[in-house]
Amino acid sequence: MSAPITRGQLLSRSAKGGAALLVAGSALGAFVDTAAAALPVGDLAWARLLVGAELLASDFYSSATAAGNTNKTVTSNLKRAYANEQEHYQSVAEIITGAGATPAVSGDIDFNYPDGTFASQHSIVKFAGQLETIILGSYLGAIDGIQTDSLKAGLARIAANEAQHVSYFTAAGGGKAFTLSFPPALTIDQASNALDAFTA
Amino acid sequence: MFTRILSLFAIALVCASLAAGGASAKPDRSLSGITVFAGSSMTTVLPKIDPGNTYSFGSSTTLGTQIANGAPADVLMSANTTVPASLFAQGVVEKPVNFTRNTLAIVVPKGNPANIKSIYDLTKPGPKIAVAAVTVPVGSYTVQVLNQMGINSAVQANVVTRETSDANVVAKVALGQVDAGFVYLSDYVIDPTHLSLIKVPAWAQPKITYAMAIVTKSPNQAAAEAWMKKVLSPAGQKVFVDNGFLPLTAAVPTITKVAPSQGKPGATVTLTGTNFTGTIAVTVSGAPATFKFVSPTKLTFTVPKKAKSGSITVVNPSGKATAPFKVG
Repeated sequence: MSAPITRGQLLSRSAKGGAALLVAGSALGAFVDTAAAALPVGDLAWARLLVGAELLASDFYSSATAAGNTNKTVTSNLKRAYANEQEHYQSVAEIITGAGATPAVSGDIDFNYPDGTFASQHSIVKFAGQLETIILGSYLGAIDGIQTDSLKAGLARIAANEAQHVSYFTAAGGGKAFTLSFPPALTIDQASNALDAFTA
Repeated sequence: MFTRILSLFAIALVCASLAAGGASAKPDRSLSGITVFAGSSMTTVLPKIDPGNTYSFGSSTTLGTQIANGAPADVLMSANTTVPASLFAQGVVEKPVNFTRNTLAIVVPKGNPANIKSIYDLTKPGPKIAVAAVTVPVGSYTVQVLNQMGINSAVQANVVTRETSDANVVAKVALGQVDAGFVYLSDYVIDPTHLSLIKVPAWAQPKITYAMAIVTKSPNQAAAEAWMKKVLSPAGQKVFVDNGFLPLTAAVPTITKVAPSQGKPGATVTLTGTNFTGTIAVTVSGAPATFKFVSPTKLTFTVPKKAKSGSITVVNPSGKATAPFKVG
């Protein structure tokens, strides 16, 4: 399992190059906190939305695993995706804590899934593919929409992982593993409205 | 509709009277029960729990000030935790207890004449918006949400009135005087006939927790304690949930009846219990079963092929319930 990208790494990746990833996040604390505190409100809004998206994804994967309706291979990938989302959550939540604010945590948001979402393996992987498509679009939208350039590389790396989730679960649900050369980026209102369909 | 609007105006007048009158508000203590000062978002719900109390509804902040100045209340029920906590620190009230939660929502007049579909539509020039003043909890929560979404400036540019309570905002929207207003979800649940609801995104929602406390100088300490227990009882909490508030914590399921209590693989079994909403799995001795949600108190499932005698387990995000079951 890879280590999560810390807030420091998210912020310093572009500024300091790949070598920054070898530096402990705490060693970059002062630089990071200064940079994060100065984040525009629009960037923080994107970070909050992505935190909400990661909480939704984590909730979904843990519920899907608990449902016990998937075979060994799919269950293994559900657990792997859950671990990925947990690490993504840590990374985007640190953007918010770095700005002196409090990110949402598990339990803050009550999620609501369409009837039958967890009824079978097919319904689970199909929903996973749809959800991951929204989350991928949200990350791509954030990369387009945020003003802080130093955050973009870290978010792009998360988006790459989300694209893997889209591909696997879409194929597992009977769809094509890859289609569009340029997956669409969602605006913040599109992403917000799409994610809000799954909240109580 | 006029009855409802008149009642909203009555609430607004009470709020205005309280705001203007400060500590001079003197409820009639000759009535049965205790005197409860409560945030205006609880105007409908509290009398359903106990109609015998004397209630004064208004801004939680204003009510807190009145109590600090000696107003004769027995219990304060606030739409936040900060007012009771502040009064507790001053020795004005006993230790506060959280009793319910709420969420922020946008209401528009029925028919939605301004065609507002999402909170982001309020950032565009045109719609007339009502909010509560930032000095009252719902107004403070509104600003918090808008700041968290990075749209505060754009939305504030469309604000045409800042009211002293959520009830006043509801009245303005119901009368069509504004195109949208920020209120609590429970405000919408009271009157869905004349309002339409637009969700505030969950990722931007503030934590809206209500807290109550007994006023230290209350001469009715025992009755006040009894009232608080009533509010926290399952029956009291159900009244809050039925009126659009959120439970303090998501409820764990329970199973009270399994019919039949024995069945072969492929048989359909009906479970009766509570809190089945959000069920994510039903298993028979660990074997996953195909299930159907019927209602919050009823589920059906099919006994799986590999099931063995033992126990049925119903799982929701908050926990699980088990009951014995025999296969065969």
